[in-house]
Amino acid sequence: MTALRIVIDLLIAVGAIFALAGTIGVNKMPDTFSRMQASTCTSTLGVVGVCLGALLYAIFFKQDPATAIKVVVIGLLVITINPVGAHAIMKGAYRHGVRPDKEMKIDDFRRDFDE
Amino acid sequence: MQKTKFPAVLATFVLCYAFWILLTWSFSAQELAAGAIVSLAAALFSARFFIHDKAFWFLRPARLGALIAYVFIFLGELIKANVDMAKRCFGGCKNIDPGVIRVPVGLKGDYAQAMLANSITLTPGTITLDIAEDQEGQAYYYIHWIDVQSTDPDQAGEMIKGNLERGIRRIWE
Repeated sequence: MTALRIVIDLLIAVGAIFALAGTIGVNKMPDTFSRMQASTCTSTLGVVGVCLGALLYAIFFKQDPATAIKVVVIGLLVITINPVGAHAIMKGAYRHGVRPDKEMKIDDFRRDFDE
Repeated sequence: MQKTKFPAVLATFVLCYAFWILLTWSFSAQELAAGAIVSLAAALFSARFFIHDKAFWFLRPARLGALIAYVFIFLGELIKANVDMAKRCFGGCKNIDPGVIRVPVGLKGDYAQAMLANSITLTPGTITLDIAEDQEGQAYYYIHWIDVQSTDPDQAGEMIKGNLERGIRRIWE
């Protein structure tokens, strides 16, 4: 049981570390689009790590199937809905006229859609 | 608008009912009956939005196996990209070289293309901005890439989504 407990703690710690990385990125990245990129760090491995840890904890320590299923549902919802929102925010920002200060290395979207 | 088809309703109903049972986790007759009625109503209203194509696509073992294999392919890519992104963030967010690049997509069908686009967006470092089609029906993604390593569309496409695309093709073809 102790080994399992260590695995659970490790999973949650790894999730927290990636969430921290994402937060630092959101605060320090130079432009809107790069900030969005950093935020996906939080919503993928951050959430997956914490959810996996919570799932194992709910199964083996609390022995509560309802909690386990809710954790799985939370993980699946974040994983499936997050990209849709990220994509919509990125495209909305771009269409609205947000541009990075530094010129982008390549910008096919502007080439094809900007008049 | 699409017509409501029976297999689509059945599949949606089974999904809703399974969710109901999992979430309530009680097996009294009253709960089960209420769940069945609510699931059926939800399925009747939403099946035509939820399932556009074949309702029992995943009931074939080869496809289900490909889907499970894809989860592991995707997890591998996800961990690689996450570690890369975390390094950039902890390293002061300086070594980035962003750009929007257009890459060709070799997949056919709405589900496959949407799945690949969402997988690309979920991978840190790449976000899909838009899907476009040219006159010949070739689909393109516009992808914002945090660190543009190649401006050649085919090479960039292989670097961004090579493994993911092969995994998804096995599911939907």
